[in-house]
Amino acid sequence: MSDFFQTGIITTLHALGRPSLDRLESELREYAQARPVGLVLPALYSEFEGPAMPKIAAELAKVKYLNEIVLVLDKASEKEFERTRHFLSGIQTEVKVIHNDGRRIGEIYDTLDRNKLSVGQRGKGRSAWLAYGYILARGRSQVIALHDCDIVSYSRELLARLCYPVVNPNLDYVFCKGFYSRVTNKMHGRVTRLLLTPLVRSLQQLAGPHRFLLFLDSFRYALSGEFCMSIDLARVNRIPWDWGLEVGSLAEVYRNYSPRRVCQVDIAATYEHKHQALSAGDPEKGLMKMTIDICKSIFRTLASEGVVFSEGMFKSLSVAYLRNAEDSIMKYEADAAINGLDFDRHEEAQAVDAFTAAISQAARVFMDNPLGTPLIPNWNRVISAIPDILEMLRRAVDEDNK
Amino acid sequence: MNELLVLILEPLKALYAQMSAFLPNMLAMLIIILVGIATARIMSALTLKTLKAVKFDSWSDRMGVTSMMRKGDLWAKPSDATAAFLFWLLIVVAVLTGLSALHIRVVDSMIAEVLLYLPKIVSAILIVVIGYIVTGLIARGLLISLVNGGFRFAKQFARAARLLLIVLIAAMALEQLQVAPGVVVAAFSIVFGGIVFALAIAFGLAGVDTAKRMLEQQEEKKQETAARDMQHI
Repeated sequence: MSDFFQTGIITTLHALGRPSLDRLESELREYAQARPVGLVLPALYSEFEGPAMPKIAAELAKVKYLNEIVLVLDKASEKEFERTRHFLSGIQTEVKVIHNDGRRIGEIYDTLDRNKLSVGQRGKGRSAWLAYGYILARGRSQVIALHDCDIVSYSRELLARLCYPVVNPNLDYVFCKGFYSRVTNKMHGRVTRLLLTPLVRSLQQLAGPHRFLLFLDSFRYALSGEFCMSIDLARVNRIPWDWGLEVGSLAEVYRNYSPRRVCQVDIAATYEHKHQALSAGDPEKGLMKMTIDICKSIFRTLASEGVVFSEGMFKSLSVAYLRNAEDSIMKYEADAAINGLDFDRHEEAQAVDAFTAAISQAARVFMDNPLGTPLIPNWNRVISAIPDILEMLRRAVDEDNK
Repeated sequence: MNELLVLILEPLKALYAQMSAFLPNMLAMLIIILVGIATARIMSALTLKTLKAVKFDSWSDRMGVTSMMRKGDLWAKPSDATAAFLFWLLIVVAVLTGLSALHIRVVDSMIAEVLLYLPKIVSAILIVVIGYIVTGLIARGLLISLVNGGFRFAKQFARAARLLLIVLIAAMALEQLQVAPGVVVAAFSIVFGGIVFALAIAFGLAGVDTAKRMLEQQEEKKQETAARDMQHI
């Protein structure tokens, strides 16, 4: 059972006692009449062949408060697209599958490209952005929820808890981020534990108590891929298409809304999904690529808030980070010991070394080109360039799903 | 025996004579079609290059032409579609010209009719494309001015205006194509007149008070202006 301590400048909604899922879902059904919910699922076809997606589909079939489900399917042939549609046909809620590799969606990307609107490379960021566009084009949902499709331990309670704070008009949050523990026989979530938290706290030591850093540090799992938001955010938010997606999205939420309208919610007691390899020697792969992208996103956001970065500051940052990260390892070792979890201290130290190198690499990239971090333009910007783009997108998806 | 030989050879001679007269025409037709195909390819490629150079696709995206194509489930680039249209138009012209080289009376008259009809098809397409762009601009302008004027049903009004204009353009295009012109004109008059009549009745019955208020406000404004003018004198 969770404690009830409130951390930081945003609201934390804990899992206290044994909240009834039936009550939660019946309230959601009522509230969703005024605030219809659209669920976005960025998925790869390979995820349908693993254990996660069949379970997610089976759970979603029991959910009655959703207005629409938009699944963005990546890396799938025409046949695989049809198989996916057939696979999801058991879900009562209206499901639309966006075929990212299809001819019509390809033409939408071409249209954006020739009008100098860069939407970046394929990935979760671009898929999520496209799905928001489709939901905006349909105009049938007021709230958008998003979760990954590789959650092996998925239950519909996760979705209900994620949606509740934004759908309930009495709470009136505009953005809600999910958090959970990533523990099996050992602690996972290395990037959050050993990179993000020590990095943010080191930056606070160097740049002072900056409000964005306080905001970021308030999240118990800032890198979780699960969130729920008001439709207005989908219209105005600019999101990175690379691994900086989660941090970049939080930065946009911070920029556009008061932290009082932002919350985080405990969505699952256990959460299990695929794990990335460290790839310490290759900055273009695995956790190293993720780490560099996350650091660049943080540096860029802080620079846009007026924080001045210099060679000296980055040198101090590496040293401060290393000290903080080493302290974190000791804390987690103690935590693992008391809970009887496996803990490989050497592996953790190796991860910290790799992350230190990644911070230096990200600093170099940032100093060379501070504007280099890619952001997908928000939908308002896209509409101003191509007024009919949402109508074209709606038609492309609807024709594909006929 | 001789007679039998004559009987066999005579039709063959006639066939040879006919073939000798027809073969040059056939050859001419083939050459015309082949040259036509080559010309169509060159023209289409040149058009495509020119359209790309002037950023025709981006212009089409902004003006709503691309959107119109997508509504018809046509997912090619506007420049590709235009070049392909030109290519097939030139191929049709080349084939028709080639067929006319055969000097067959029935074919000649059919070709004349088709060639006379081609400009009408082109102008109907132009009417639809230009009309669609203009309706988009009018509807957008109307929407902006109504929203700025605080009109409550601005979006619906702009959509209705666009729909009416599209009906008008469709009628014009069909009239240009001479597709049952009497029926088209009558149908358009009934539909357009009906809509306007319905709006007039709706406003007349439901909006009497609003109309009265508007007229009174206008009258008051006039009187106020007149009073101010008097004070200045």
